[in-house]
Amino acid sequence: MINFEEELKRFQPIPEVNQAEQAIYNNDLKDISDIVQVVTAEIKSNAMGTSNPVTGRIG
Amino acid sequence: MSSKKPVVCPVCGAQIRKSGYCSNCYMHISIIKKAYNTSDYYYNMGLDKAIARDLSGAIESLNMSLRYNKKNIMTRNLLGLIYYEMGEVVMALSHWVMSVNYKSSGNLATKYLKELRSNPTTLADVDQIAIKYNMALDYAKRDDIDLAIIQLKNLLSKNGHFVKGYLLLALLYIHFGNYEKARVTLRRVLKIDKANPLAIHYLHEMGDTDMNIIQMRMEEVEDDGLLEEEYIEENVIRRNNSLMDEDPSDKKSNPIKDFFEKCKNTLFKKKVAGDISFAKYSGVYVLVGMVLGVLMLGFIIVPAQRKSLRKENERIIKTYSEEIAAKESTITSLDAQVSDLNRQIARLESNNSDDVNPLPDYTYITNGMTDEDIQNMINNE
Repeated sequence: MINFEEELKRFQPIPEVNQAEQAIYNNDLKDISDIVQVVTAEIKSNAMGTSNPVTGRIG
Repeated sequence: MSSKKPVVCPVCGAQIRKSGYCSNCYMHISIIKKAYNTSDYYYNMGLDKAIARDLSGAIESLNMSLRYNKKNIMTRNLLGLIYYEMGEVVMALSHWVMSVNYKSSGNLATKYLKELRSNPTTLADVDQIAIKYNMALDYAKRDDIDLAIIQLKNLLSKNGHFVKGYLLLALLYIHFGNYEKARVTLRRVLKIDKANPLAIHYLHEMGDTDMNIIQMRMEEVEDDGLLEEEYIEENVIRRNNSLMDEDPSDKKSNPIKDFFEKCKNTLFKKKVAGDISFAKYSGVYVLVGMVLGVLMLGFIIVPAQRKSLRKENERIIKTYSEEIAAKESTITSLDAQVSDLNRQIARLESNNSDDVNPLPDYTYITNGMTDEDIQNMINNE
């Protein structure tokens, strides 16, 4: 059974033209290469001080 | 001697080392290639769905494609085009702008943006549509359904491809219990986006089967009259009438409404969610109508007629009784007069019989006498 109140929550306001800039910024999602880069940077920063968790060598 | 062109990292543009890792971002080229291949795979899937007019499915696939490669220009452009087709121009703009940002030359998005910018009226209309939709949504949330419907009709007459507007309109019609109009509205959605999950969900909830939905996609929507003024007026009038009929004091319980609901639930309880084809039950309606007619005749009309007849009889009897009483009183008074006169007659007769020395008869004396003789005689007496 359709619950009007619940269904209405699915509908969100759409951006107006003057909010397009914000929509573009919101659209800047992270893809898989961004995630890999973040992970790589973390590993690199860890390796600078301590031993690398992957290789075990001192960076 | 041949100079080998260095391999460049597609992510950051730095040189790839012999080991296959990027010298800047330290990503392995095979991972990047794999990610980009997967992105293209989802793009192709999205394109197939878009060609089949499964726009919601295409958006899903293209978003997945962007998860693997956010710089996939083709994906961005197609996503923008799909949003534009579904009436969400601002979303389309944002994807095209991103696309142009990643690749400025030889990009189809440049053409799209140029076309949009060249016509300020279109952008103004887009803005108006967004404002009106948000306003309609606000009205709907505040339970001003009539105003919400009017706003949605208005914006849909300007942009007949605004899927979100149709979906909200359909939901409002369902809320009103106007399933036919909801179906007409959802049919328009299915014409634009064949497998819109929300539209199909609403149709299933209204009791439509998958076969009905397939049939619905084939039907023409141009002459369905959805955006005609009558629809708005009819709806508003119906709503207002229903509001006027409702007594605020009886808001909590309306026995007639409750009875109708009870009957509806009893008669049509096999249906899940209001898919009541009233035409199918015309025979039942006729039967119920006849029974109600007979009951009304027996319990209301006949007793009322009897009561009125009894009252009429009583009134006639009362009139005649009064007339009879008046005549009886007249007769009594006349009887009294008769008896009085009779008594007078009897008394006079008795007086006559009691008189033993009547007056002397002078006729024989007066015979042959003159008037002068009679006068003299009276004088002498």
